[in-house]
Amino acid sequence: MSKIKLTALFLALVLTLNLSAKEYKASLFGVKSEGITLNTKSIQKAIDYISENGGGKLVFYVGRYLTGTIQLKSNVIIELKEGAILVATSSIYDYYSAGGPKALIVADGQENIGVTGKGVIEGNSTSVLGQINAQIQKGYLKETVAKASPALIALNNCTNVTINEFNLFDATGNVQYYSGCKNLLINGVTVKSIDSKDSKGLVLSGCDGVKLSNIYFETSGKELETAGSSKNVSALNCKNVKGEKLQLKN
Amino acid sequence: MSKIILFSFLFLFALKLLAKDYRIADFGAKADGVTVNTSTIQKAIDYINENGGGRLIFDAGNWVTGSIYLKSNVTLHLEYGATILGSTNPFDYVKDKKIGWMSMIFAVNQENIGITGKGTINGRGFTTANNMVNYIERGIYIDPLKLDRPNETNRPQNIYFRECKNVKINDITLRDPASWNQTYDQCINLYVDGITVDSKSYWNNDGIDVVDCDGVVIKNSYFDAADDVICFKSHSAEHICQNVVVDNCVGRSSANGLKFGTVSRGGFRNFKVTNLTIFDTFRSAITFAAVDGGEISNIVVDGVRSINTGNVIYLRIGDRWSKGKKPFMKDITISNVYAEVPFGKPDAGYNYEGPVEDLPRNISPASIVGLPDYKIQNVRLKNIEIVYPGAGNPLYAKRGLTSADLDSIPEMRTAYPEFSQFKELPAWGFYIRHAQGITFENVKLIAQKKDYRPAIVMDDVQGATFKGMQYNEPESNGKKQLFYQKSENVITE
Repeated sequence: MSKIKLTALFLALVLTLNLSAKEYKASLFGVKSEGITLNTKSIQKAIDYISENGGGKLVFYVGRYLTGTIQLKSNVIIELKEGAILVATSSIYDYYSAGGPKALIVADGQENIGVTGKGVIEGNSTSVLGQINAQIQKGYLKETVAKASPALIALNNCTNVTINEFNLFDATGNVQYYSGCKNLLINGVTVKSIDSKDSKGLVLSGCDGVKLSNIYFETSGKELETAGSSKNVSALNCKNVKGEKLQLKN
Repeated sequence: MSKIILFSFLFLFALKLLAKDYRIADFGAKADGVTVNTSTIQKAIDYINENGGGRLIFDAGNWVTGSIYLKSNVTLHLEYGATILGSTNPFDYVKDKKIGWMSMIFAVNQENIGITGKGTINGRGFTTANNMVNYIERGIYIDPLKLDRPNETNRPQNIYFRECKNVKINDITLRDPASWNQTYDQCINLYVDGITVDSKSYWNNDGIDVVDCDGVVIKNSYFDAADDVICFKSHSAEHICQNVVVDNCVGRSSANGLKFGTVSRGGFRNFKVTNLTIFDTFRSAITFAAVDGGEISNIVVDGVRSINTGNVIYLRIGDRWSKGKKPFMKDITISNVYAEVPFGKPDAGYNYEGPVEDLPRNISPASIVGLPDYKIQNVRLKNIEIVYPGAGNPLYAKRGLTSADLDSIPEMRTAYPEFSQFKELPAWGFYIRHAQGITFENVKLIAQKKDYRPAIVMDDVQGATFKGMQYNEPESNGKKQLFYQKSENVITE
């Protein structure tokens, strides 16, 4: 067997292990699904706990889960089951960044992470933007609107990332931002973000090994943007609202 | 002169101008009792701190938050009707790395800070603590659940300020923490005036804890607490609690009223406590414990009303965590005390009632108990009247007056200090052991029913003066009310 085949086998094994990793229901950590309780700290506790205990899936079933920024950690997959909505809080001081722009889900230097399932991440852009503008006007927030606007997902320097089969709605900033990531797999995702100005669908910067497939974009900004040099990228069956096929440049 | 006055007036005016008012709602916080405003409140505090200081005003409404850090020159001002509600989610709280405790409002190394106004801070600790129990039982949070409750440090207090200078706590109401209520640790210049504390929602709910502070005023305040009411502690052997005034305070507790300790490593020095009322309290109205190597010295307590308390005065030297330090207690004056000790349980019916110990034990006397090698020195009791139930029954529990009986009372050097720790004691009014220089002046001890014990028993006391003593016990004509052994220079006038 060649070295490459061995590596592939090993990777497959790791993936299988990942698939069979332990599942944790969000309620175990006191996460509430009514759409009013701010779950940030409970979800974060869940991620930290799962990461520290060998990894696994944090599973959200149908419901609305209000949260501010949560930080993904190694070997944790968030699974949003159909009808599960991660709702971005309108409270703007609940967002922060980790090596990239502010976002609802951030990660910096983690591996084997992902978000999967048939659920939704809802950016709540009208309320969030309203708050940002109000705070800037009052002089309490000393950032530009662009800087203060959270993306939905911003991952920096992460390895083995799977973003699979769910819906990304209504980001205040750009929808997704990946910088310096290796082995990034994004498949079957629906991106709709038209309420805020110039919300880009996906921004890639300095990534290595990116496979995009079956992504539908309806965005107010550019669907795909490569900022900085990424290599080994491919886009299969990615289209926008006009039915145009979208390509990525290496 | 008038120029100076004008100048000071202008100066004060300028300070007022500098201390701007900000409203928390302007930062986007919501008073709906649901929104967790932690990040927004923190942003507001940081902003005010970075922009010259001022008051952060909470208007009427319910403002939910987790842990926030107060910063220099910022005062949280709670208007009448404003409540800061603690989140009931334990994960919304930080366990501060330096302090080692959880709290809702932290301040570390800050100055000119305060919490003022007629509003309320409500920790909602019962729910938070029980949520924590739930997480621990599920294995999500690691805690040994000693006594089937999370460790005190794993439950949020309402306030924990550490190493802060110029701290003002005025007018507010503090309710229902999950642990101690408010702790001021190694602070300089702490001024507490006119606060109300309702603190009996979970175990260890103290009224106020002042740890190793220098320059403290606590006055005009009311406390209802499951654990100690006004509690001074000394966590650090290198620090001491000193220069303290407590005036015009009223408290009730399922533990002690005014307490020094239990942790007492550095000690307590220069206290003046006046006009103190303690009622419905399970343990002692006054407990001074030097059990961890610290000192207790130069303490004046003047004007105490102690109604329906399990015990009145308990002074104790122990040798628990001294680590070679020598504890001492000296120069204590307690005067103008009126006290009534009940026959039944004084805190019956309150939430988190004090724990009933293994019986039998007749009603315990007030006690002054040192150790053979660490004697309590110079205690003066003046103008004291204590009404006891009496009725000590030797068939129920008995400690006689023979040497063998008195010597059988254990020293309990390393035990937790409580007035009831020795079980049955041989006196109904006062028990004094291992002491030097005790003065009783105009002390009236009343037993409502006949008791098998004398009023006062002393053991190993060098120098005791009794002036103007009155003993009032039914059917006790000719009974010797003062008994002592191994004691010298006992003068009765």
